[in-house]
Amino acid sequence: MPGRPSEPESALIPLPTEVDVPLYHIRHGVKPPIFRVFISWSRGNVLQVACIRPLEDHLARGEANETSDDAGLGGKVVEVKLGASDPNISEAQRRRIIYDSIPPFVLLQSRRKAFLTMSRLSSSSSHPSTDWWQQVLEYSRSISELLGSSKISSKSVIEDPMIVLEPVDKPSGLKAAWQLMEIFYVDKNYFSWLPERLVDWLAEYDAILSETQMTVHSKLVKLQEKLVNLQVIENDPEYWEGLSSVLTVGWLDVAVKLLRLHGSYQLNQLDSRETENGLVETVAVLVSTMPRLRHDLPMGKLGQCFKTKPDFIKAWEKWRGQITKLDCSAFWVQCSHRPTREGLRNLLQIMLGNFNSISTACFHWMELFISHFLYIRPLTVVAPTYLVSCPKQGLGLLEILLSKQPVQNYPMILKNLEICQLNELYGISSCVKKIAGMHQWKHGRKGSGVYWLQEARDEARLNRIAQQLFECIGRSISDETFKQWEGLIELLGSDVGTAGGVGFLHRYRDFKRSLRQVRNGRPASAARQTVESLIQLMKSSYTPQRFWLPLLHDVVELLNWKDQPLLNVSETNFLLKKLQELSMAQLCPEFSETYLPPEALTEIRLALATNLSRAFLEE
Amino acid sequence: MAGSGDLQLYRYPQSKSVDAVRWLHPLSAFDRFIATALYDTDDASSSVDIHSLNLNSDPENPNRSKPLLRPRSSWPSPSRISSLRTSEIPQKHVVAALSTFAGYVHFLFMDPIDVSVELELSTDEDQPLHNASVSIVDLQDGGHECLSVGEDGRVNLVSVVEGRLDTQLVHDNGGLVSYTAVKWGSQAEFATGGFGFGLQWWDQRKPGGLVSQLKGNWAQGNVTGIVHSIDIHPSRKHISVVGGSSGTVFAWDLRWQQQPILLSGVGVAGQSTFESEIWEIQYDIHAQSSSISSTSSTKILPVMFCSEDGILGVIEQGKPPIELLTEACAINSLDIDPQNPSDIICGLEWESIGILMRPKEAASVY
Repeated sequence: MPGRPSEPESALIPLPTEVDVPLYHIRHGVKPPIFRVFISWSRGNVLQVACIRPLEDHLARGEANETSDDAGLGGKVVEVKLGASDPNISEAQRRRIIYDSIPPFVLLQSRRKAFLTMSRLSSSSSHPSTDWWQQVLEYSRSISELLGSSKISSKSVIEDPMIVLEPVDKPSGLKAAWQLMEIFYVDKNYFSWLPERLVDWLAEYDAILSETQMTVHSKLVKLQEKLVNLQVIENDPEYWEGLSSVLTVGWLDVAVKLLRLHGSYQLNQLDSRETENGLVETVAVLVSTMPRLRHDLPMGKLGQCFKTKPDFIKAWEKWRGQITKLDCSAFWVQCSHRPTREGLRNLLQIMLGNFNSISTACFHWMELFISHFLYIRPLTVVAPTYLVSCPKQGLGLLEILLSKQPVQNYPMILKNLEICQLNELYGISSCVKKIAGMHQWKHGRKGSGVYWLQEARDEARLNRIAQQLFECIGRSISDETFKQWEGLIELLGSDVGTAGGVGFLHRYRDFKRSLRQVRNGRPASAARQTVESLIQLMKSSYTPQRFWLPLLHDVVELLNWKDQPLLNVSETNFLLKKLQELSMAQLCPEFSETYLPPEALTEIRLALATNLSRAFLEE
Repeated sequence: MAGSGDLQLYRYPQSKSVDAVRWLHPLSAFDRFIATALYDTDDASSSVDIHSLNLNSDPENPNRSKPLLRPRSSWPSPSRISSLRTSEIPQKHVVAALSTFAGYVHFLFMDPIDVSVELELSTDEDQPLHNASVSIVDLQDGGHECLSVGEDGRVNLVSVVEGRLDTQLVHDNGGLVSYTAVKWGSQAEFATGGFGFGLQWWDQRKPGGLVSQLKGNWAQGNVTGIVHSIDIHPSRKHISVVGGSSGTVFAWDLRWQQQPILLSGVGVAGQSTFESEIWEIQYDIHAQSSSISSTSSTKILPVMFCSEDGILGVIEQGKPPIELLTEACAINSLDIDPQNPSDIICGLEWESIGILMRPKEAASVY
């Protein structure tokens, strides 16, 4: 069959071998050769594929063979269903979800209509939006229920202390996604403690974060299997690793349960391990009293709830203080069991927000995010840390985030550039500099504008800026202007490479300065210096062509210097050549006119010719 | 608590951005006070908060007890604060001068005993002092005069005259040169800094004011950047020490104007250089107290700095830099307590105030 990937040489479109693409077998039953394949979207995720045989071939064969079996058809349209569906939801279940989701949706729509009518009637007094979101939330909840039952544990009356992880059905990815949408877009109740909602979300859905890689959940599953058979649990490094992992993502109840399995709690050991047990229990109490910024906690979950930020911060500080105190306590010396001592102190480090302890204890970027929120208290400034750890879209999102940052404030720009540097986002970095440069330039802050554009090595923009600067400097050559421009020109430096078109301004400044000295009646040395600067400027490839004429016009009086010709023959010839080049360029349509009087060209030509003749005589 | 040896760091989370921190010097013998410029990202509000710092040392465990930092008063600022400086009018007021992103300068006069804000003065409300943000201000000792500079190329002198603020435009280059740092050198002289590591020295008694300048881009071939902070020692006003981009700390001696002395940054041989922005520098008066009399006037005194990559350290000429703190986040500002030079307050990027206490005996850390 053509197109079958098992026969790559006959494939209609060759597939790159290294890419793992999902394959769908199409049973079209059309005899080769296939002349054309049409592909179009059908409803949902169904693709329509039409396989057509060549027309003449079909006719010839059709006449010869009257039997109308499939093989003789001119073509066939088949439907291919794309996308691997969630393995946890069967097709029948999926359809059930679709059917059952219609009544809540209809209800929502009718309420919306009623709402709109109501708000139109009493537009002045009521705020329809205030409880509209609650209707949406209700709808979201009913859909969420359809997507799978929530994790309600079937608690027996007597709890088994060895069961730290309750066996539940694997949650559905569909529901996990829906819940995230609800958290971010619908539920306004919990807006102020949104991160805590994410902690809850992770507790429920950590199991499905990754199929292949380790998660806190998978680590716990392994530990649970081991627990039953272990005798001296605290000697096993996996016990401590598991403990730190669950603590890191805020499953305080599990952490406390695990701690209480510690061998020092056993009655026969209690006497000999009193200090050790005291430490374990203190850590367990600290874990269970962790302050949390939220309204309430579900049954069985641990921590102290605080509804307002100031109360929370106060309690948080106190709690951290207690941990620090314990960390510095002398009891550690008396604890002879090394794994316990080290394990517990690592737990304290996690609660103190030690980045290394936290990052070793979690596996998935989502877990890292939650743990940062819990113990390091991050804000919108630390987003890069997470975005970079998210392997697929993270960097892209970071790029978008960075390019949207305001550029009015240079410390902010520098902070963003630092992030670019750390993540090797050089493109964005130069983009940020260009944006900053143009922003500053347009707001009249020429110096910083030029600085940022230089940093970005944006020659095109610097060249454009050069034109404006040249005209500004060129018009007036008073003492005051020089002082004003001095700083900017110094900033540009003499290194033309980095300054692009603006670099020549440095020499232009020298030229103008000596020219002014000449006009102020200074001696011939200044005049000679001026023409030297001129020659340098004219020779430099960085001096834009449109500035040649004004430059030459400036020195007309020097070309007619009374005492002696200032330019020798070859120099004069060089300038004449340049003038010729300019005349040629003037014929081009893109040649930009200068503000000089029309007779300027003639004046220059005459002055150069005069100088040439004088120079000949001199030599 | 972090740090090494007998260093103690205490962190005080604020749930707001800590934009600037300064010690205040009231008459109170028991409590110390600090002023912080805060910015609440949630509702975009800014304020200057005054805190008292109580070192109630626990007699049983004097090293371990955390000093109490308590909010005392708060002054709402109309716009985000770009810099904050403090001084005092002896026996009369504790003074804070601050600049905002909106281009204004404000003065706060506080009671010398309980440090409550008694009087607030602002520059002309109809006309911002600077076009866009004020980069930085510096308050003259005595609390009467303050300099402000901006990216708009203006240098302003703001003085307290008869219960109001009087402003005088010292210089305006129309944005050709942007200023990002300013520091008084004497009653009439001051230094400014800007892009391309450019520095200027001004004397108000001279016409035009500008006396000399370090040409921008002097570090050509290496790196260039922005000056963030300048400090001038009262006993050596011919030397300005400067902190800026790419971990650069250098000294500019007016006697050798075009040869700055690089103390840290790319190009300093034989040391592990810092690479990120140096946000603030100050002469480390604690480390100096032992060495100041013995060193010659050409030697650069030890300088404390804080950086974007979370380092707070001390640089001394000819010695490898000492890192006192390495934080996971940027340290945006620092202030050494002039009355207790072993104690340092710093503003941490992750919305915290940090208080670092060194052993009282000078030089024992080094």
